[in-house]
Amino acid sequence: MKKQIARKVLGVGASILLMGGLNLANAETIKIAIAGPQSGDVAQYGDMQVIGAEMAVEQINAAGGVNGDKLEAIRYDDACEPKQAVAVANKIVNDGVKFVVGHLCSSSTQPASDVYEDEGIITITPASTNPDITERGYQMIFRTIGLDSHQGPTAGKFIATVVKPKRVAVIHDKQQYGEGIATAVKKTLEEKNVNVVLFEGVNKGDKDFSPLIAKLQKENVDFVYYGGYHPELGQILRQASEKGLNIKFMGPEGVGNKDISQIAGKASEGLYVTLPPAFDQRPENKTLVDAFKAKSQDASGAFVMTSYAAVQVIADSIKGVGSTDTDAIQAYLRSHSFKTPMGEIAFDEKGDLKGFDFEIYTWHADGSKTVVK
Amino acid sequence: MLEVILYFIQQLINGITIGSTYALIAIGYTMVYGIIGMINFAHGEVYMIGTYVAFMAISGMAMLGIEFLPLIFLVALLSSMLVSSSFGWAIERIAYRPLRGGNRLIPLISAIGMSIFLQNYVRLGQGSRDIAMSSQISGGWSFGPEDGFQASLSYIQVLIFIVTIISMTVLTLFISRSRMGRACRAVAQDLKMANLLGIDTNRVIASTFVIGAALAAVAGTLLGMYYGVVNAFVGFIAGLKAFTAAVLGGIGSIPGAMLGGIILGVTESMTAAYFSTEYKDVVSFALLVLILLFKPTGILGKPEVEKI
Repeated sequence: MKKQIARKVLGVGASILLMGGLNLANAETIKIAIAGPQSGDVAQYGDMQVIGAEMAVEQINAAGGVNGDKLEAIRYDDACEPKQAVAVANKIVNDGVKFVVGHLCSSSTQPASDVYEDEGIITITPASTNPDITERGYQMIFRTIGLDSHQGPTAGKFIATVVKPKRVAVIHDKQQYGEGIATAVKKTLEEKNVNVVLFEGVNKGDKDFSPLIAKLQKENVDFVYYGGYHPELGQILRQASEKGLNIKFMGPEGVGNKDISQIAGKASEGLYVTLPPAFDQRPENKTLVDAFKAKSQDASGAFVMTSYAAVQVIADSIKGVGSTDTDAIQAYLRSHSFKTPMGEIAFDEKGDLKGFDFEIYTWHADGSKTVVK
Repeated sequence: MLEVILYFIQQLINGITIGSTYALIAIGYTMVYGIIGMINFAHGEVYMIGTYVAFMAISGMAMLGIEFLPLIFLVALLSSMLVSSSFGWAIERIAYRPLRGGNRLIPLISAIGMSIFLQNYVRLGQGSRDIAMSSQISGGWSFGPEDGFQASLSYIQVLIFIVTIISMTVLTLFISRSRMGRACRAVAQDLKMANLLGIDTNRVIASTFVIGAALAAVAGTLLGMYYGVVNAFVGFIAGLKAFTAAVLGGIGSIPGAMLGGIILGVTESMTAAYFSTEYKDVVSFALLVLILLFKPTGILGKPEVEKI
């Protein structure tokens, strides 16, 4: 009996090996992994990443591919969970993929990038804004988005100079992204002598924020900055308006998607959000935006164009180097500039974008947004 | 001074609201444990399914143009109780009955399996995004000075208290007065003996699961209307908290579940109020450890009698 099982296991193992072999034999394409949350509570952002990156792959292939080879986009789902992100990273390594557009959540990108760095896989994140990610002297990690250490001060300056509140509360979700940005905002506010009366974390996944809201009311807070994602802020907005707490809220790009209006309804009207500039509204991107529209996709998502640009940058540098040697490509990425829908972009030594700025938008109850002058 | 008192009252109201919902879910755990001595880990998922069904019922009625609020609430409640009960019944049939009589760990694992299966089944069917719904019952009362801190009590919070209290009373009456309730108590005391005396224990156990699931559906409907958001994974945290409440109050005891839920809810809201929101889970679980250290059976739990 035992022998039989052993034989079966061997057989299955052998067929898996064979399948692996077939895969290798088929490898005419250059694979690009799109790693991000395609499920879970922030899957909306994963969708932005997928449509942006897949559009770029499609258009580059339609224009003849890269050095005669076609690109192939493969989706990997990390559900915005650090543990799953590492599992995904290992799978990407095993699948022989050398280029990653992702991950999305900073807390996923950070552990996954350890794997990519060791294995020499080029990673361009279109969405992770935590500064630590590029602070570790890694060679393989780049990003086509700004940093919380920029986003925080941008938000902080706006609060201090335009809103001028008297008593501010800074709330965060205790995650790498949320707490990082909340700390940056708090620091800027304190430098500008704005009175931060409350700095507190909430649990990700919590639904009831009534004790927190009562506390905000008691402290007479007149402005709240929230560092985190939309499911929690949506609840806070909804419950605050039910309790009659009608003050202004502000959040980072992690709260800026249409679901927040779904959750909070009318309470999402007037929310301030820092977002990457609306690249889809630039006249030079009109044909690209039309291409998205033709597939009934929404090009206005914050990470659509950054993901498009990430794929484009990878393709351009493979062209420039003439091979998929990732070591040569990372050097090429650091020393050249690229023309993308985000404009002309270039990377610094750490892998961050040079001269990227967030803009401030007012969110509306119907899920649209307008820029604040 | 007035502000301090109002603030305390406000946080007490918040805590009791959260606590009542924990209690409603906790009953399902405690009943199943009291009768067959097993933990139904798929109970949180029944609660989640209850919320989904209530949402479907509410949006279905909105499509039909029905706007009469009590009717909407009643239909949502009943349909969610109906669907959830059948899930509760199926869970017992599939994951418990075939394994009853074996090692206690085996149904525990199959319940965890059931829980993961249901989460992913709903996720595949309904999508992984949060489903949101605008609030059906809005408004409330507020007390306190116009320009200062006002304590507020919303209609939906009141509804949550009332429905919780009604459900608890009905359940207590059912257990203490009805024929089926007597059978339940007999099975809880000694399953084998009850069987020998001609009680259809299979039916009793199945109805325990059904009642537990129906109460979870009540909680699901109420909380769904309160928070207005559901996704396939809300059952996990809710289930965990409710389980904690059940253990805190003394697992197996129905008033214990109620008490445990309220204590947990109030502890959470008081910690958030006077200390920090970050520490509310730390404090409430530290409390759980402390209570179990000094009273291992929970506050109202009876000392365990070894069943043979």
